[in-house]
Amino acid sequence: MIPLRGGRAGKVFLQVIMAIVVALFALPLVMVVNYSFKTKRELYIGNPLALPHSPNLNNYVTAFDRLDLGRTFVNTLVYTVLSVVILGLLSGAAAWAIARNRTRFFKFSYVYFIIGILIPYQALFLPIYIIGYSLHLTNTIYGVVLMYVATGMSFGVFLMTSFMSTVPVELEEAARIDGCSVYRTYFRVVMPLLTPAIATLIIMQAFLIWNDYLMASLFVSDSSRRTLTLSMQNLFSQQTSDYTSAMAAIVISALPISILFVSLQKYFIKGMTAGAVKG
Amino acid sequence: MRLQYASLVLPGMLIFSVGLILPMLLGLRYSLTSWDGFTRTLPWVGLGNYGKALSDPYVRDAWWFTIKFTIGNTIIQNVFAFSFAVALDRGLKAQKLYRTILFVPCLISPVVVGFTWLRMYSDVLPALNTLLGTRINFMLFGRSETVLTGLLIANNWQWIGYWMLIYLAALQTVPTELYEAARVDGASPIRQLRSITVPMLGPAFTICIVGITIGSLKVYDLMVSSTNGGPGRASSSIVYHIYSTAISGRQYGYGSAMSMTLILVLLVVAVVQLRILRRREVQL
Repeated sequence: MIPLRGGRAGKVFLQVIMAIVVALFALPLVMVVNYSFKTKRELYIGNPLALPHSPNLNNYVTAFDRLDLGRTFVNTLVYTVLSVVILGLLSGAAAWAIARNRTRFFKFSYVYFIIGILIPYQALFLPIYIIGYSLHLTNTIYGVVLMYVATGMSFGVFLMTSFMSTVPVELEEAARIDGCSVYRTYFRVVMPLLTPAIATLIIMQAFLIWNDYLMASLFVSDSSRRTLTLSMQNLFSQQTSDYTSAMAAIVISALPISILFVSLQKYFIKGMTAGAVKG
Repeated sequence: MRLQYASLVLPGMLIFSVGLILPMLLGLRYSLTSWDGFTRTLPWVGLGNYGKALSDPYVRDAWWFTIKFTIGNTIIQNVFAFSFAVALDRGLKAQKLYRTILFVPCLISPVVVGFTWLRMYSDVLPALNTLLGTRINFMLFGRSETVLTGLLIANNWQWIGYWMLIYLAALQTVPTELYEAARVDGASPIRQLRSITVPMLGPAFTICIVGITIGSLKVYDLMVSSTNGGPGRASSSIVYHIYSTAISGRQYGYGSAMSMTLILVLLVVAVVQLRILRRREVQL
């Protein structure tokens, strides 16, 4: 904390400035919630800044229906959970094996994985799509999941490697002496110790996958496999004039995820600063 | 033993190869052809696509937009994320609430953010004119001169809070003794900020600057529901332009060449930034 010279006056000034800033940041959020309770009539003739006359949940019912929420929510959940769990398992295992071996193969593996860390998948979406298409991976659950895992591996291995110093080698050696195989050692001894690291990785990737549009739009055209974001975009493009239900859809889609991830903020910090720790 | 270890690396390596390395190699190969996505043969054109991209005004405009968007974001996001973090670090009242509200927008899908700001500009903000009796044009997405500003506002609204968290975490690691010593020496708060805080936050600056640059160069989702790359092509980012060229325009070879160029730019920019920024970091 930087000690303040300006004393009380300075602090009050700062408090006021930040209150204004935060109010401005909250404005779009408040606007979305406000509109989600308005009627079509109020949308056309009312003041945009006014509160809804008689708030009701009609827009939410419509949005629920138009988003096909039951299905799209479950789809998104399945894609996200499968992707991050597989990503956590594979990058944890790879990073541990790399950290415990000094031969050329493992050194090469690390470099190989890290190549991708500066390349977001958006830069490669075209060949990714072509490969997915020729391997018949479009409109399948595992196709989308495979691509999310593949494009998350670089960051995963990088993050896991930076956490590897928290796993004491002595425990593994004890397990080895007791006759545990490499696999058993990994799953019984190392994995439990890596849980905080895996949790960090999962949380940092989950909200990106949950909110992703481009990859999903390339791989999913079948409406029964659609994600929430695809369904939202579909709704946005149809409802250009009456968008009160679109606003309700935004609240439905953003609220649960926001509450969940706001409570997990400290993991974001851990994950984001992992690169800095190594120096 | 070693084989067992290797078998822990291989599954991840296989998936990574299919989903990232192979696309990179194939992208490079397609970029040297004029493939339309249908034919079985790949008509070889050598570096023709790259030459074509150099003189294509559409590609140039897409790059120009992306570069302006990236530079704008990198400056604005860092300045505000850092300032807000310093402000919140001073123990303001309700700072937890402040932090949460600033952070929430990054948890919302960029597609949703785009749509929200589309409505903000077209419906909500113009109402302020009637309220205040002013005549400000808030329809930022409507004109090609203002669409960049509109998207910068939307994108910064979304991401400032995210990067602010890193600066906040880094600020908490600066030892208070440094400030105390500086105060004894009579250093002003500005001087303390410049000579202690900023240098001590070196690694955080590195992460944020590189992260924001990469994040801005790949922008696509934000435009899908807001501007559709328009008006005209005024907000076609490079990824957006690759999409319309390749997927909609069936020019897979040409699109791949643009993809490869983007990867090259990403790598060069990030490596240069990392080299410069790492050198400036304080080694403890």
